[in-house]
Amino acid sequence: MASYLARRTGYMLLILTISSVVIFYALRTAPGGPSGGGVLNPLSSQEIRQAYDKRMGLDQPVYTQYFIYLGHIVRGDLGTSLANGTPIVELLGTHARNSLVLGLTALLISYVIAIPLGVLAAVKRNTWVDQLAMGGAILGMGIPNFWLALILVYFFSLRLGWLPSAGCCDPPQLILPALVLAAEGTAVTMRMTRSSMLEHLHDDFVRALRAKGLPEWQVILRHVLRNALIPVISLTGLRLGWLVGYALIVETIFRWPGVGYLLVDSVLRRDYPVAQVFSLLLIVFVLLANWFADIAYGLANPRIRVA
Amino acid sequence: MSGSELALEVKDLRTTLFLREGRVDVVRGVSFQLKQGETLALVGESGCGKTMTALSIMRLLPDPPARVTHGQVLLAGADVSRMPEHQMRSLRGETVSIVFQEPLTSLDPVFTIGDQIVEAITSHRKLQRGEAREMAVEILKEVQIPSPGQRLKDYPHQLSGGMRQRVMIAMALVLDPKVLIADEPTTALDVTIQAQILDLIRTEQEQRRLAVLLITHNLPVVSQVADRVAVMYAGEVVEEAPASEIFSDPRHPYTQGLLSSIPSAAGDHKHLYTIPGRVPDPRVLPPACLFAPRCPYALRRCWQEHPELEATVSAGHADTSTQPDRHLLRCWNPQPFTALQAIEPQEVDRRIATSE
Repeated sequence: MASYLARRTGYMLLILTISSVVIFYALRTAPGGPSGGGVLNPLSSQEIRQAYDKRMGLDQPVYTQYFIYLGHIVRGDLGTSLANGTPIVELLGTHARNSLVLGLTALLISYVIAIPLGVLAAVKRNTWVDQLAMGGAILGMGIPNFWLALILVYFFSLRLGWLPSAGCCDPPQLILPALVLAAEGTAVTMRMTRSSMLEHLHDDFVRALRAKGLPEWQVILRHVLRNALIPVISLTGLRLGWLVGYALIVETIFRWPGVGYLLVDSVLRRDYPVAQVFSLLLIVFVLLANWFADIAYGLANPRIRVA
Repeated sequence: MSGSELALEVKDLRTTLFLREGRVDVVRGVSFQLKQGETLALVGESGCGKTMTALSIMRLLPDPPARVTHGQVLLAGADVSRMPEHQMRSLRGETVSIVFQEPLTSLDPVFTIGDQIVEAITSHRKLQRGEAREMAVEILKEVQIPSPGQRLKDYPHQLSGGMRQRVMIAMALVLDPKVLIADEPTTALDVTIQAQILDLIRTEQEQRRLAVLLITHNLPVVSQVADRVAVMYAGEVVEEAPASEIFSDPRHPYTQGLLSSIPSAAGDHKHLYTIPGRVPDPRVLPPACLFAPRCPYALRRCWQEHPELEATVSAGHADTSTQPDRHLLRCWNPQPFTALQAIEPQEVDRRIATSE
């Protein structure tokens, strides 16, 4: 276990180092820069720009900047935003919390919808329930989430006036972005629950459980579902990764001040320190999510746990 | 024989598969009786309808496509064929239990042995978990599983094949049913373990006065445990008799063929007897003896008329009309066993004893 942890941590550090280099260079090869219109007034004179670059160390070669940056990071200094001087640690706190609230709500919504419907579709296979659920799943997977977001805003905010179209952080403002963020994952989870249930519904042990005289609901919900959830759980790791990607779009559309929103904003403004920290944060999150999925998979499947 | 002693009675059972190509009767007119403390072996090759018969009794047929379309199943006097499902469910495990062939796939891989036995108990009896656990430990002790308290926490994959089958038997017997159906209980096990499992079934049967329906294709197994034997061929019982008679005086050419094809360790025959031909296609059954195409003694009549299962006069048994040791046969032209292959009954016993 100790060697497993060490290997896993080393692997994570390696990925983080490589991605920090890539992110650092990518940001600086993008046209413009903090002084080229991102942070400074685009109409400011050449002298002001050069003075700004010199003060911020942006006139130095990129690799020198990188090592200076690395030095700060290693000492735990994440720096401040170029745009407004806020310490990044502060931004990290509020924005990460907002994103977690949104992401967890989306996950919750999707599992509450996807698992019961997946089970129902499998048990009522080839009936209208199944066809409706699977039709919904195809829509959920096929509709691009930015378009879905616009449609939902149009109906629920503009036409019906039931829900706010954007903003943070009251429960009504959470509903639309959470639904959009949940859509594709719900569809995929539902399909996977259904096919995995169908696979296990015909296992020998199901017949044996019925032969013991168990009620049918107990056979389905306690035994078949528990077996069927194993791949669904390992899918969660993957879904957390997608969630990060979609968060950029959904948070931007709904102006939800989370990690994704801030990252998009900081990249557009060439606010290098913020963009660097937040993109690395997302990478750490995805790595941890995959690790968590491995552990959860082991917990769900005793055959893996012991081996 | 009094009626109350009957633990299981199957009357003229017909089980049908409803397939896209049409209806196929996979069990046709099967009848038998099973008394308390008795073992009836249902013997035949793969696909002859043995397991379908067992599942029909338990009402666990995969529906669709299979359904019982005719006949009755009486469990301890109660007709289960028309019972509502919830009532049937309360009989499963409580009055009639089944042990399947493959113990690994018959246990849920993600629950412990203990959970699975406890669940079998609590789904029928209103008991505290602790009490059910004690019952589970007791029954595991009874089927000779070492340190049963520890084993309760094990998952199925942590046990050996023999242990798993003991667990399955324990689970089947924990509520003290009247009838145990054992569907090829030793087929998936090592030869050395097979004998232990058979011993266990026999011991439990004697202690509990269990009626056992043993389904197998393995004649040596039958000779060790069965009181009566019913031989099935293509969905029908073709011969039914006390076990000793099946081995000493088999009348149906198919039974004779089965006995002749038991391998012998003595090795005085270079070639093992095999029954020529194949099982008929159940979708197109002719109005004739179904075994005729493979039978060495087939007459013209065998190709034209379907024989019924009837009591027969067997050699050395003057009174054949009494129920317990009646010899039933479905054949137009029975021949003495010697005609197929000259071997003495003792020789058969010896072969059985030395074969696997």
